[in-house]
Amino acid sequence: MNRSLIAAIAGGLLNVALVLLLAPLAQGLLRKITARIQSRQGPPLLQPYFDLLKLLGKEDIEAGEVPGMQRFAAYLSLAAILTVACLVPMGFTDPMNAAGDVILLIYLLTLCGICTLLAGLASGSTYSLLGISREMMSMIALEPLLAVALVVGAVHLGSLRLAAVLNGSVYAADSFPWSGLIMLAVMLGSFQAFVQCSPFDIAEAETELMEGPLVEYSGPKLALFKYAQMARLVVYGALFVTLFVPWGSRLLFPFGWLLFWAKVFVLVLLVTVVAATHARYRIDQAIRFFAGLLSVSFVALILASYGH
Amino acid sequence: MIARERFEQFKQKFGPLIERADLPSDRRLFVFIAPSSVKSVCEYIFRQLDARYVVSIGADDRPYSGKFLVAHNFAFDKDHLLCSVLCQLPPDNPKIDSISELVPAASWAEREMRDLIGIEPVGHRYLKRLVLPDGWPEGSHPLRKDVPWNQVPEGFDDTREFKFDEPPEGCMVVPFGPFHPTLDEPAHFRLYVEGEMVRGCEYRGFMVHRGIEKLAESVMSYNDIPMLAERICGICGCVHNVAYVQAVEEAAALKPTPRAEYIRTIMLELERLHSHLLWVGLACHIVGFDTLFMQSFRIREPIMWMAEKISGNRKTYALCVIGGVRWNITPEIKAELRQVLDKLESEWHAVVKAVSQDKNIQKRTRGVGVAGAAQVKNSGLIGPVARAAGVDIDCRRDHPYAAYDRVEFDVITAPDGDVWSRVVVRMKEVFESIRIIRQCLDKMEEGPLQLEIKDELPPGRMGLSSVEAPRGESHHFVITGENNRPRRWRVRAPTYQNLQGVPAMIKDQQIADMTISLGSIDPCFSCTDRLETIDLRSGAVKVWSQDELLKLTRTKERPKP
Repeated sequence: MNRSLIAAIAGGLLNVALVLLLAPLAQGLLRKITARIQSRQGPPLLQPYFDLLKLLGKEDIEAGEVPGMQRFAAYLSLAAILTVACLVPMGFTDPMNAAGDVILLIYLLTLCGICTLLAGLASGSTYSLLGISREMMSMIALEPLLAVALVVGAVHLGSLRLAAVLNGSVYAADSFPWSGLIMLAVMLGSFQAFVQCSPFDIAEAETELMEGPLVEYSGPKLALFKYAQMARLVVYGALFVTLFVPWGSRLLFPFGWLLFWAKVFVLVLLVTVVAATHARYRIDQAIRFFAGLLSVSFVALILASYGH
Repeated sequence: MIARERFEQFKQKFGPLIERADLPSDRRLFVFIAPSSVKSVCEYIFRQLDARYVVSIGADDRPYSGKFLVAHNFAFDKDHLLCSVLCQLPPDNPKIDSISELVPAASWAEREMRDLIGIEPVGHRYLKRLVLPDGWPEGSHPLRKDVPWNQVPEGFDDTREFKFDEPPEGCMVVPFGPFHPTLDEPAHFRLYVEGEMVRGCEYRGFMVHRGIEKLAESVMSYNDIPMLAERICGICGCVHNVAYVQAVEEAAALKPTPRAEYIRTIMLELERLHSHLLWVGLACHIVGFDTLFMQSFRIREPIMWMAEKISGNRKTYALCVIGGVRWNITPEIKAELRQVLDKLESEWHAVVKAVSQDKNIQKRTRGVGVAGAAQVKNSGLIGPVARAAGVDIDCRRDHPYAAYDRVEFDVITAPDGDVWSRVVVRMKEVFESIRIIRQCLDKMEEGPLQLEIKDELPPGRMGLSSVEAPRGESHHFVITGENNRPRRWRVRAPTYQNLQGVPAMIKDQQIADMTISLGSIDPCFSCTDRLETIDLRSGAVKVWSQDELLKLTRTKERPKP
């Protein structure tokens, strides 16, 4: 009992370390590939690490209206996404899966969005307020999608346990897994929005809102937010892979693990290509798109409850 | 003899109210009328004869004729005629009836006239200051001849802040500018926003007015001014350079050498190429499509290199002098330019194909920022904005200058008047520009680059020149003068008119569409303001508060009166 607890905690911490280590690399890859698509040289692959270091070393200016809340939001955003990292199996063990279930996971993911809201409110600038109203709208439309995907798995298995659900459970139907395939399509369609990349970078929209909620952030606190965003890409990638492309993750240690991260990085590539070839949507267009996906996902949920 | 015909029409209609007229050629008409009849004459020209409003000009003519001068310029595009309606006003307390109710497009020009010359437009509905800073004392008008170019008047209060109008009820104010990532230059839009919808806005520009016109009228000489003129704008500078020179040439009845005309045409079209390519890139950047932004800048770069090979500069070509040009196009440059154009054409075909098939970009631009033909007429919108609304105007064809009467090209129009139409028009115009340059390279004749001008230019003559800039018609008005410099030089950049159409374009649409709508007129604030910003060198590290920054900007040295 004790040993397995220690192993679980160690596994969770290992995940956190991995995410912290790999997130800037994924970002670097994203930037480099984007640059190549745009006929540019692009920054060195390791540039995001240096960017973070540089930001962390800068003077900490408290520019917003409620500095305390601003600080809190920055810490919380990174903490929330890293807590999620503790719970998601990343290639070799199921860390800390006894610590919570699917419901907790959904709440934690929502918390990441809430941090952005807090950040925007604390800044008190008009632009950040516009940004958070957009963020809130897309959050309300997006979170159900992920919830449905997880619940579809849970319905198939009759369990909310993380270890069970986060293992390709969406395909565990009694007959042909229609619901799982539908959710795969839905999640692929909305993945850009979950990781806040173009065409769904609406809340930040540099050319309209000047980074929206983050407009008053600079230095170390901006670094935390940026780090959280980079981690978000990797964690959501991992979540997607465990849910929808689980095959091979249980192979012998280095192989399964390598395969898992290879899949995550392929997903990052996909995100990059889509982001580089699309213009940003307007918030109403995006919400309409999400609403379409949501109705499709409800069909999947009904199918799942009938065992398909 | 269309100019004569029009003049006869005026005479028939208004009889003795027409004081005198000047018809220097069949493409120009200057009519002096009694100031009391200005409204009816302008209404007749604008509504009945369906002329296009160009600009209004105020001038202080007291040292010469003892009077103030007001000119309302109109263009009869189909007749290839530019017409100037002039009034002379008494030297004390000059006033003239405002025409802005009949011709809404005249609103800014009349406000500017009131600020800079002190001619009161009687009956103007919105008499807020346009150009002068808010702390400038009443009754001091910098463009009057008795004001030295470097004077700061007694009682100038540079701390006075601009007073904005009250926002409508239920609206939040979103300050857009003076500095914003999509505005390359300072301009302030105060947006009244309800949720995500823009319900209205107030504009305040002219923040760093450079006083270029005053400088030219009081310090510089005829051949210095072209170099000053092209510094009005960082993108379409050559347009101003050519337009000024042509206005002076017209006033002095000089004709530039044929080779110079071809070279001017080539440089103007090179400028249009790089400007349009830049714009397509920026528009894509504004809607968050950075890949095409980068690609169109890559495609654009060889054009910049060609410009540098010809003139020594990527921009600010320093091309024209009165009666000619300063740079030759050698056979080697000719050959290279042809290669660059071939490559550009094939690459641009690929871009146009990609954009036309991209649903995503069309989703963001169709039905957005609409300005239809009626608004084009009323606000005096020009260039691609007008052509995208199906209004078939283009100065290159309608008021031919340089060598445009010797080349063939199509004027591109689109029907819908939205941002997408403007994208389409500009993308297709690139091919027309390539066509024009190729024809010029074929037809260009050998010969001298400049006229030999031995005599002084005659004073008191007027010249008009409309040049089609990438963003629309750039109009220059010159009255020649003594001391080798003009008495009055008025620049009307295209954005000056197009910007006045923006509030109507962005009303009742989403704030997300604001940036691309504004971007779609290809705004050039420096042209409009005739301004520039100066970087302050910063020394020690210090965190500046807003008040401190304001104080800093306000204690900087300025010329003593």
